[in-house]
Amino acid sequence: MTKVKVASVWLEGCSGCHMSFLDIDEAIIELADVVEFTRTPITDIKEFPQVDIGIVEGSVGNTEEEEVLKELRAHSKILMAWGDCACFGGVCAMRSSFNKEEVLKRGYVETESTCKSKIPCSPGVPALLDQVKPVNHVVKVDCYVPGCPPEAGAILYALKELLAGRIPVLPSDMMRFD
Amino acid sequence: MKEIMLTINGKQVKGKEGDTVLEVCEANNIYVPTLCHLKGLTDVGACRMCVVEIERERRPVPACTYPARDGLVVQTHNEKLDKYRRLILELMFTERNHLCAQCVASGDCELQSLAYKYQMDNARYPYSWPALPLDSANDYLVIDHNRCILCGRCIRTCDEIVGVHTLDFGHRGWKDMVVADLNQPLGASSCISCGACFQVCPTGAIFSKNSAYKGKPEECRKVNSICPICGVGCEIEALVKDNRLVRIDSPDLSDKRGILCHKGRFAPLYNKNERVKTALVRNGRGKLEPRPLPEAIDIVAKKLAELKAKYGNNSIAGIASSQASNDSLKAFKELIAGTIGSNLIDTLDGDAYRTIIKGINGTGAKGGLEIETSLEEILNADCIIVVGANPLESHPVAGSYIARAARRSKVTLIAIDPSQNTFPYHATLWLKPQEGNEQLAVDVLSKTIIQKGTKKDSARTKEVATSLKDINVKQNSKQAGIGSDDLLEAAEMLSKAKHSIIVYGEDILRHNNPALITSLLKLATITGSQDKEKPQIISLKPKGNSRGAWNLGIANSSQSIIKNLTSNNVKALYLLLSDDYVDASELPNLSKGLEFIVIQSSYLASATSKADIVLPSPIWAEVGEKYTTLDGLTESTSRLIKPSDGIKADAEILREISQQMKK
Repeated sequence: MTKVKVASVWLEGCSGCHMSFLDIDEAIIELADVVEFTRTPITDIKEFPQVDIGIVEGSVGNTEEEEVLKELRAHSKILMAWGDCACFGGVCAMRSSFNKEEVLKRGYVETESTCKSKIPCSPGVPALLDQVKPVNHVVKVDCYVPGCPPEAGAILYALKELLAGRIPVLPSDMMRFD
Repeated sequence: MKEIMLTINGKQVKGKEGDTVLEVCEANNIYVPTLCHLKGLTDVGACRMCVVEIERERRPVPACTYPARDGLVVQTHNEKLDKYRRLILELMFTERNHLCAQCVASGDCELQSLAYKYQMDNARYPYSWPALPLDSANDYLVIDHNRCILCGRCIRTCDEIVGVHTLDFGHRGWKDMVVADLNQPLGASSCISCGACFQVCPTGAIFSKNSAYKGKPEECRKVNSICPICGVGCEIEALVKDNRLVRIDSPDLSDKRGILCHKGRFAPLYNKNERVKTALVRNGRGKLEPRPLPEAIDIVAKKLAELKAKYGNNSIAGIASSQASNDSLKAFKELIAGTIGSNLIDTLDGDAYRTIIKGINGTGAKGGLEIETSLEEILNADCIIVVGANPLESHPVAGSYIARAARRSKVTLIAIDPSQNTFPYHATLWLKPQEGNEQLAVDVLSKTIIQKGTKKDSARTKEVATSLKDINVKQNSKQAGIGSDDLLEAAEMLSKAKHSIIVYGEDILRHNNPALITSLLKLATITGSQDKEKPQIISLKPKGNSRGAWNLGIANSSQSIIKNLTSNNVKALYLLLSDDYVDASELPNLSKGLEFIVIQSSYLASATSKADIVLPSPIWAEVGEKYTTLDGLTESTSRLIKPSDGIKADAEILREISQQMKK
């Protein structure tokens, strides 16, 4: 039996969704029998192969994240969003109400612990977008598992539904935004 | 009410004429999601969550504002309506900055619950991410506009339930916002901090500083009790977690007596006064030092017995704060008047009692405070006269009953008040006599009414008329500083009213002028209600349990004891303050000529520093005891939290002292 190929990325977020995924405990062994994890932050593989399921944690706040997301979308049959940041913008989007120059200045120059500093401007540093976007505002998303982080049970439920060939929609009692 | 029949979701259901479609659904247990709707408030159809399909209507309509009719065919749930509801939720989530993960209300939010229910796992609309302010200028409340969905519940509650109407919508369209007064910070506005807006807010837009992040309702124990702070006797529902008060709400805001004020809702949670945790005894170096409670009780009993033997029973005076419970006060009276046998027993607010009683006796009426009417009557009145009081400050819930009634066009409010307090601004008519001429103003008003001819044509009205025969309306109104037009208008309002009531308060009682109370009672005799025997008058008493203390006869002394300690040759003073925070300035001449001062108090106030022995008191939330409301109903409170070790009920300590003295 060929295994279902999965890739995942974390964009602007805290990695909490991936940690919550690891909280599925022994179910991960079962999952490993039918799923092949390709590029994920856990496997540290850099290239995107063509996958069945692409998973994205985090919102889109800079040009690099936008590029990675678009690449993942292009390589995935189904794209699943994990967590409040990916689904709604989440905590990362708190900066969206402010001007990005203000945000950079506050973060790099005005921080109480900073004495002499400037805003990073090397060409290697990806530029901030004006506003943080949930992933469905950048690419098409097929299914969502909200939560901050999503509960392990909800993540497992969504994966199992996908493996069974259905597009998951979390039942009301599994929905969480916190 | 005529019965009507509707078809809802294919089923025949009964309704009443005048009901909305939502009311019919609720009466028939048919669930319709709502956000801006709240029992007790006028429905406005702001949120559109309750949209339903009605046959022959071109588009879905909000059930909360659609009048039910006979034969109406209604559909409350189908795929299309659920799609619309989810769409509305997505619009709400993208309109402002709803970030559940860092919101105080997460887990207790109606917006969030509906999003879960309608499986809103993403929002398709462009996010506005508006930059919105957060108003934390109020002592207790924060308005975070980021989380507001503009449902208007707070605004309608502030207007229709609380009667203050501080909150309203400001700006227009896209910039629409809840504002206080003319867009003032809440802390600088006419807000009375009653917290009703916080209780009704469906999201985390209005929250209480000391309740935030302390625990979600499902993690808390719920305890129902009565608030004994001002004597109105409001029902409260407290949420308690780990022996800590998380929040206090009204069990039913839609009930006509369901309002709470900042004292009941917030004071217990924001209490920063330093507590007396154990007995304190003045040592050889003159400093108060902590001692075990039994040891302190022993010293008190011995010392009191010694002074009693040396100087006689009346060398010991007992003064209590009327904030103490009936249970504490009974034990206090037993110790002072019983065991010690002293006549010198009084309450700190004894002068107010003496003024009221002398005033009542001045009319020849029998029954003392029993002649007063009940607070309930304020709710039935169509004309309310407030004399020398700011009930929104002293008894805010009673103030709300009055201000709320005055907002309704059929109820008139007459304020008789010479001072600068803000309550008369709520009045339909403000009679502003010169300071000190209040009594004359009241008499002139009575005389005007009698000259106009009162409906209450009884023997007592004649008595009043005789007693006012020397009043000359023209001359005396000028003397009192009241315009004749105003007088006539007031008389007109009162004669039109079917049920008027007089409410007077501390500004009047402060004058210690019984004749003024007598005049008010005369006015009550010729006005009031035709079908009520009792004069419709009620006094707003100084402390939460004033009526209880006075009913127990603790203030029966003919003069103030606290003001006459020296002239009575008092050698020892027992002060029961309980959870009343008393400043030393309220207790003049405390140390003059006194050999021994015992203060039983919950708090370390400047007063307690004058004591030789300080005994700890619990606060009301730590004991379940009896209190009497200002209109004479005796109610039991429940214990909300446990006191810390070593704190006993006042009555227990007082009884122990009594027992030891009897040994």
